[in-house]
Amino acid sequence: MKKIILFLAAVCFAVASCTKEKTDYEAEIDTVVTEHYEFKEAASINSEDYKISIEALNGTFYKGYNEIHLIITNTQNNEKVNVSAATFLPIMTHADGSNISCPHQYDLLYKPDDNYFSGYSVFTSESNVNEEWELYISFTVANQTYTAKQSISVQDQPNKNLNMTAFTGKDDEQYFIALVSPQKPKIAENELVAGIYKFNKSTNSPSGTFPDPSQFSYTEVSGYTLMLDPRMPEPSMGNHSSLNNKNLVQQSDGLYHGVVNYTMTGNWTLNFIMLNQNGQILKGTKVPGDFTPGVEGVKSELYIDILF
Amino acid sequence: MKKLSVILLVLFLGMNANAQDIEASRDTSKRLEEVKIIGVAKRKIETDMKMAVSVDEFLASSENISFIKRGAYAWEPLLNNMSSERSTLTIDGMHIFGACTDKMDPITSYVESNNLSTIDIKSGQEGSLHGATIGGSIDLKRKNTPFGLEKKFSGAYQTGFEFNNKQFFNLANASYAGDKIVADGSISFRKADNYFDGNQDEVNHSQYNKFNTSLALAYKISPLSSVRVDAIFDQAKDVGYPALPMDLWLSRAIITSASYKQLFEEGLVRVWDTKLYFNAIEHYMDDTTRPENLVHMDMPGWSTTYGLVSNINLQKDRYSSEIQLNAYENVSIAEMRMYPQDRNKRTMFAYSWPWVTTRFTGLSMNNSWEISDRSQLNFGGSLGLNYNHSKYVEFNWIFHPGAPQEKNRLLPGLHASYQLSIDQFDFSVGTGYGQRAPSVSEGYGYYIYNSFDRYDYIGNPDLKDEISYEANASAGFKNEKLSIEGKVNYFHIQNYIIGRVLSLGSPMNYQSVGVKGYTSLSHARLFNMSLNANYDILHHLHWKGTLNYARGTDDKDGNLPFIRPLNYQTSLHWMYNKFSFQTSVSGDFTQENYSPEYGEDQTPSYMIWNISADYNFNFKSFKTVLQVGAENVTNKYYSTYADWGNIPRMGRNIFTSLKVNF
Ligand SMILES: [Cu+2]
Repeated sequence: MKKIILFLAAVCFAVASCTKEKTDYEAEIDTVVTEHYEFKEAASINSEDYKISIEALNGTFYKGYNEIHLIITNTQNNEKVNVSAATFLPIMTHADGSNISCPHQYDLLYKPDDNYFSGYSVFTSESNVNEEWELYISFTVANQTYTAKQSISVQDQPNKNLNMTAFTGKDDEQYFIALVSPQKPKIAENELVAGIYKFNKSTNSPSGTFPDPSQFSYTEVSGYTLMLDPRMPEPSMGNHSSLNNKNLVQQSDGLYHGVVNYTMTGNWTLNFIMLNQNGQILKGTKVPGDFTPGVEGVKSELYIDILF
Repeated sequence: MKKLSVILLVLFLGMNANAQDIEASRDTSKRLEEVKIIGVAKRKIETDMKMAVSVDEFLASSENISFIKRGAYAWEPLLNNMSSERSTLTIDGMHIFGACTDKMDPITSYVESNNLSTIDIKSGQEGSLHGATIGGSIDLKRKNTPFGLEKKFSGAYQTGFEFNNKQFFNLANASYAGDKIVADGSISFRKADNYFDGNQDEVNHSQYNKFNTSLALAYKISPLSSVRVDAIFDQAKDVGYPALPMDLWLSRAIITSASYKQLFEEGLVRVWDTKLYFNAIEHYMDDTTRPENLVHMDMPGWSTTYGLVSNINLQKDRYSSEIQLNAYENVSIAEMRMYPQDRNKRTMFAYSWPWVTTRFTGLSMNNSWEISDRSQLNFGGSLGLNYNHSKYVEFNWIFHPGAPQEKNRLLPGLHASYQLSIDQFDFSVGTGYGQRAPSVSEGYGYYIYNSFDRYDYIGNPDLKDEISYEANASAGFKNEKLSIEGKVNYFHIQNYIIGRVLSLGSPMNYQSVGVKGYTSLSHARLFNMSLNANYDILHHLHWKGTLNYARGTDDKDGNLPFIRPLNYQTSLHWMYNKFSFQTSVSGDFTQENYSPEYGEDQTPSYMIWNISADYNFNFKSFKTVLQVGAENVTNKYYSTYADWGNIPRMGRNIFTSLKVNF
């Protein structure tokens, strides 16, 4: 009798272990998305008695949106220095010697609680042999202004949820949209945060020592609206979309906030239509809403692909 | 899952060890097998027409059961024309839940005719003994050989071949009935190819392949008590579902239980039977066999349940009562993984059942009181607590933002009926009130594709309980030659759960046309009527006829889907020496009250004719029956109102089978 029961139990064991493993849902998204929380030094410059440390998430500058922390210390005594102002200017030099910049915060903001300067930079390309990035920093200590520059390496952003796009609007201005958040989306309603920037064309010719900031001026646009229509572009998904999405509008932090609802993991296209403060379309087209299985989803002329 | 089997193992052994201690202290002459448990007369698992039937075919012979058919295998039983969520489906009182979001695997698909003794069908609230229900209960009763039979060993072997779909089956079962130990075992194999419809066209993807085995051991620990362990293992492989866009690659179930039974010679309590059970189902669909699918999708599902059922039987003079405690916990998981055209790219993932836990605890009671020799009053009730929890509630929040992750529901039920017999007439009237909680799919389903109306279905965790008010009546007449019985029942169901088109969201499944959400209609009404008659024309010539009518309407008096049109069955049975002959004609009338809103079209009437002949003989000392017959003799091309996607049914099918009893 006991033997038979043991046999039965053995059968139980054999059968109760599943043929196919269940998906580890918590780990599912981790396979393509790495979330970074920690600011680490991405570049440092020594200028006279001062060390300028530029921190970014994961200690790396990525193509797209980067939040920047700038910390200046005195190399003599290793103490933080009382800096009254700091500026930040990234410059990219092409192989032919021409220069451009990218959306950035020129005048960095001082954060007294943490004792660093804060800003951002939206690098528009990763470093390569034809495109070299340099940072031009200036800071003022006791009414004396110091400048420094340092070449940096900008890497490709492996996290597709922080993608960016650059385009020319119907008003003939140059615009940039960079995703800021969520780094790691969920199958849920996600708060979608993006920065919208514009290149301010310079009316005067360069002056002073290089670089002349007026030639490389970018600003966050204000009062625009980014209309959102997320869809799964894979032909197998037949232009699948989701519900309860909200258009992105500007909030007090200068960034644009909206809601994107992802119904499953995978590739999604965020189709946008950008409206200016008067409600005029500057870029973007309405995408068809039909369910078209087997056909790759039509994208707006303004879109960003994400993946999670 | 592994942990659970260890627990179960410990339980098995624990019970066994415990058992031996009690044995020594007891000594009465009363024998266990003599005590009879109240209940229904056992029906053999065979129909009038056919002795080697599948469980589905057997159920189909009951007048209040109809079926949704998605192919040749695993039909979904509808009791009182209500979908399977509205009934409780159990095996010996054990709750088991299918692991398929597309209902490919009703519980009836996990047993085999040779490990069942009978199927107990109760209509409406009378079926609330096994838990909260609206439509009733279907309890599959396993074979249960009594202790100490004179014939220690017995068994049967059955084999057969059906020509239409080249179904070949082998079923064997054996039992040993010792004074102390009883063992029941069974094993079966069935394999079928595609079937052919009445136009001789092959119905692709209708093959199946099933293996089932069961073992039960009972040990008498004292003259009045016994323990029993039971296990069923079922495996279906490569099963086609012609009406669905995918097939089944593999489905496996292990159904186990350990029970303890105590009888009492005197006093109010007569029998106390307690059972712990565990069952696990895994279900893997496969769409790669369909060339029309440009997209590949994995859809695995798992369902694990463990529970307790404890039943006490009371008897005093003219009063008898059954009290049952039901408790179970089920976890249902179903995944969707879609593959992009470039297989190197990232797959897309979502849960169709986001790890939904259902816990139910309920106490039910059925009483019967014989007021006089002619009249009897039955009454009872149940009270259940149903708890749901969705682990990945974010999937439910997509369509129902802020829906609670947990939900408790209190499910009361009441019923009463009065039976009266005057001379050759029998009458009964009854009424009932009951509630049920939404099923896992209705409450928590996420983009479950329904190939019948081609919509993706979304569950709603906030659905209200369905509330049913029920009335039933029957009248019968019986003399030596003739018996006639008419039955009617009527259900008024509040908050009737059904899928309605959502203007929100867009479909996800490849073949889908839109999204439907489960919503509650303010009410729906269902009416069922059946008329049965038997007549013994001669001593060895019997006639039988059945006529069924049903009507279901929603809150706007529109038709409900899956209501069987007026249908009939009539058969003749003639015995001559060692031969017996059966013939039957059955059919549905034109479906007048169909529901285009829920994806139905009108199904035309059909009539099919079946014949069969048996020859009984003794092969050596074994009682042997040989049967030859044909279903759909005229090779009619037809499909029924509930054939998913109007898939045609089987054309002419010649069947043979041989059964040897020993
Ligand atoms: Cu399935």
